[in-house]
Amino acid sequence: MNAIIETHQLTIRYGDRAIASEINVDVPAGSFYAILGENGAGKTTFIKTILGQHHNYVGNLNVTTKSIGFVPQFRDISRDYPLSVAEFVGLAFNSGWHLFNNRSEKVAIHKALQKMDLVNIADQRLGLISGGQRQRAFVAQALVKQPELLILDESTASLDHEHKRQLLTAIVRLQKETGLTVLFITHELTLVSDFADGFLLFDAGNVTQGNAQALKKITVDMTLTHPENEVHYV
Amino acid sequence: MFEYSFMQNAFVAGTIVSIVAGVIGTFVVARNYAFLTHSLSEIGFAGAAFGLWIGWPALLGMMVATVASSVAIGALESTYTKRDNVTSAISALAIGLGILFLALGHTSSSAATGILFGSVLGISHHDLYLLLVLAAIVLVTLLFNYRTLRQLSFDEQGMFMQTRRQQGVRYVFLVMIALSVSISSQLVGSLLIFVLVTLPAASAKYYATTTVQLMGMAIIFALFGTWVGLSVAYLTELPTSFFIAIIEVLIYLGSVWQFKRKA
Repeated sequence: MNAIIETHQLTIRYGDRAIASEINVDVPAGSFYAILGENGAGKTTFIKTILGQHHNYVGNLNVTTKSIGFVPQFRDISRDYPLSVAEFVGLAFNSGWHLFNNRSEKVAIHKALQKMDLVNIADQRLGLISGGQRQRAFVAQALVKQPELLILDESTASLDHEHKRQLLTAIVRLQKETGLTVLFITHELTLVSDFADGFLLFDAGNVTQGNAQALKKITVDMTLTHPENEVHYV
Repeated sequence: MFEYSFMQNAFVAGTIVSIVAGVIGTFVVARNYAFLTHSLSEIGFAGAAFGLWIGWPALLGMMVATVASSVAIGALESTYTKRDNVTSAISALAIGLGILFLALGHTSSSAATGILFGSVLGISHHDLYLLLVLAAIVLVTLLFNYRTLRQLSFDEQGMFMQTRRQQGVRYVFLVMIALSVSISSQLVGSLLIFVLVTLPAASAKYYATTTVQLMGMAIIFALFGTWVGLSVAYLTELPTSFFIAIIEVLIYLGSVWQFKRKA
């Protein structure tokens, strides 16, 4: 299968320090990949490099698409945040000057809301909906321009178990149906091992790539060493 | 009261200022720039005093000072410094300088109170044209950058993969705030800039759910306060700024109250 992201001897630096060295990975188009690793292991910087926001690297990085949707880890939405879910999703149309959305933008917003099951709360205020609904709205905004690659940075971290699975199920359904490639940064092994086609593990400056079986194996190993936790952190 | 040309001018000026303040205020409130805006008005005071000292029109001095400071603040905040702290430092310096320039220029106390509290009834025909031109510049610039400014203000974290032009919009926005502050201070004075730029938009936030609705409601709240304020001031012969301030604060408190009850 064609790779949507391919690296050859890629070393990502922060200042003079290499945070991940000699990365050789290829993420197939249309797959769901988990990006694993401890805090500070370089996951987010790797993603920023893919997004073209971090330029301090040597080696080859080949991203075959420019059509990328990104759901950042932090967003401060207070309870009095005024915009409706639909208006928030439409913020991604961020160039030009038209005060109102045109027909095709309206259609795109409606489709993105449908994909994330938000149509019935489209007019509610983003500040007043539940945490799970809000995360889905964030994803819907990232989907509204119909990207080929969707990157999520710990989007399930703040949710309860049921909402975590709900969000992931919706994203995986989309991946299977539309051929969307998904990169999912997470600490939650047990959660993601049921869904992912493969993983990239960031550990002490090295990056290992593995398939779904390898991911299940790591998950089982972790469960044996830390049986007390339901959710496991790598 | 409309038989007097000073009242006609005051109403026209009030209308122009309210429209500009409502539009820019929407983005100021969304981007949490309220404190910055207030500080810019203090900086504007220093600029006006400086202008009077060297013989410029107060508005010109105000514009030069606010535009320069807003760009400086924008450049400083993009590093690791907290925006509010930088802003406090610059505005403290500005007020100090303002007092110095007033003293150096032997400016009469009425000129000083005019800058601080506004002098809407002293607006001339010539002032109106100037206001109109400045307002048009601000509104056209904001409209031209509307989509980028909208995401920058309401969801900066969601704005990744920015083009160079989109990054430039931050500065364009700061300069437009500076111009709006200078324009608005003609009406309510630099001390009360909150009253027209921040409060109407902050109130609108509790009713509107789209950006266009927010701007519309902010304009309506600002216009209502200005028109009623001018009329009541005419009838009572008390300061206009006082009435506009009271009306906008009441609208704001009412909005917060009803939102809390609903939410």
